[in-house]
Amino acid sequence: MTISWLQAAILGLFACLCSNSCMAGQAVGNYTIGRPLVGGLVCGLVLGDLKLGIACGVAMQLVYIALVTPGGTVSADVRAISYIGIPLAMVAIASKGMNPLGTSAADLAKSVGTLVGTVGTVLYYAVATLNLVWQSFGWKDVHQGKLDRLYGVNFGWPWLSHALFSFIPTMLLTYYGSTAVTALRDALPMDGIAMKTLFTVGGMLPCVGIAILLRQIVSKPIDFVPFFVGFTLAASLHLNLVSVTVVSLLFAVIFYEIEMAIGSTHGPSDGSQTATASAGADDDEEEDI
Amino acid sequence: MQKAQEVKKIDHKTLSHSFHLWFWGALTCFSQEHMQTFGYMASMLPIIKKLYPDHDDQVKAIKAYTAFFNTNPMLGTVIVGVTASMEEARANGQDIDGETINDMRAGLMGPIAGIGDSLIDGTLIPILLGISLGMSSGGSPVGAIFYIIAWVLIAYFGQRFLYFRGYQFGDKAVSFLVGKQGAAIRHAIGVIGSMVVGGVLASWVNVTTSLKLVGSNGKVFLNLQDKLDSIFPGILTVAVTLFCWWLMSKKHVSAIWTMLILVVVSLVGVLLGFFNPGLTY
Repeated sequence: MTISWLQAAILGLFACLCSNSCMAGQAVGNYTIGRPLVGGLVCGLVLGDLKLGIACGVAMQLVYIALVTPGGTVSADVRAISYIGIPLAMVAIASKGMNPLGTSAADLAKSVGTLVGTVGTVLYYAVATLNLVWQSFGWKDVHQGKLDRLYGVNFGWPWLSHALFSFIPTMLLTYYGSTAVTALRDALPMDGIAMKTLFTVGGMLPCVGIAILLRQIVSKPIDFVPFFVGFTLAASLHLNLVSVTVVSLLFAVIFYEIEMAIGSTHGPSDGSQTATASAGADDDEEEDI
Repeated sequence: MQKAQEVKKIDHKTLSHSFHLWFWGALTCFSQEHMQTFGYMASMLPIIKKLYPDHDDQVKAIKAYTAFFNTNPMLGTVIVGVTASMEEARANGQDIDGETINDMRAGLMGPIAGIGDSLIDGTLIPILLGISLGMSSGGSPVGAIFYIIAWVLIAYFGQRFLYFRGYQFGDKAVSFLVGKQGAAIRHAIGVIGSMVVGGVLASWVNVTTSLKLVGSNGKVFLNLQDKLDSIFPGILTVAVTLFCWWLMSKKHVSAIWTMLILVVVSLVGVLLGFFNPGLTY
């Protein structure tokens, strides 16, 4: 499998649409076009191997299932993962002649994609920095009262940032990278230490993504319990995800009811309007006990 | 300052225009320094032009939105709606100035960012993606297409709803999200999120060991993976995940360094024969 200039240019365009500051808007750009699963679909269509594209997208999506960017700090860049990493992983898998749906193909995709995605954060900061120039135009316009120019500052000029730091890097890296990846095939034998390590890491990388999400959810040890229950339902009882979600709804309802009940008996934690009602409830409780 | 006799009202078309500017442009001109400030100004522009026919008033009004702004762009739509209603009140001569509007924005953007990141990025999207991944296993495009349709519909109409709710109810629109009931809802949704994430981990990630101890007669007397599976299926997967969590949240190691540590762990594991992906051409 090779990547032509035209294919590389199309991938470059998608990179402009999806990465922060995404030209297709946050919901459609970053959260749809930028997700590796969707990127897999697009790359599969562009490179003419839908099955392999989707397989790589699924593998990569696992690593980045919880791509939260609190306060605009990133640990990975969606344009690099989805439109540089996935195409290169596809070329690597195709050149190794692996079964696209196999575990080893998925592990290779994760390693290649994550490496590229991590390095790609440079592009994110480059775009954000160049946008400062357009913003300085914007401040001038505000001071001079040329308000209509703000639309250009917000929707026009940033295309230049993306032309420089999304379109060109994606096009060059996918075009020349595919040659490099193919050359790598002979350099690294499959049963060598390097390849074994690469594949083992690929299998473990989704754990980092899940752990990032856990860091958000878990504030005290007891918060791990629902996580373990969900894991056990799937790992031991082999429920699929929709079934796990349905079971979790029951627990969600219980937690909601308990929290509301605690809130109404334990004093005026917020607002004085509930104070009288909860005072009465407190009295009742004490008598009961 | 004497105000006009007739009450100024923003029409639906202008509100809709403002919403679309936010939906498509909240982050197009993003920088680390000003983040969503320009997206915010652009989406307020149609409203300001509608409310203040005089150019000088427009320039004065937009100054309120030059302050720093950053929040979760999805849930944050409600804040834009609230400011639209506040701006309308200000244009009608009510006791609201730029500072009042900015205090509201500054006070809401933190909580909304926290709730939005955990509800949308941390719960809704993992659930949608988890379901879609299942539909796309085996290389089928169905899951990816399902995700695109489901998410874009939810995002578009959800944000539209939030915008107009914000405009209609002002800052009351947000009270259910930050009050006691909001906390209970967030907790309940957090439970769904945690269980689904546990399910995603079990369904899609499988860390296994290849360690087997072979006796002198050539028979395997310890197959570690089988032993581990008989204790708790997937125990190694959980262990690696908890290890990553521990590194990042207790030792404050960054995600990138955590990945590099995994590379070292894998290398050592491969050298010791603990890991072997069993590759063949």
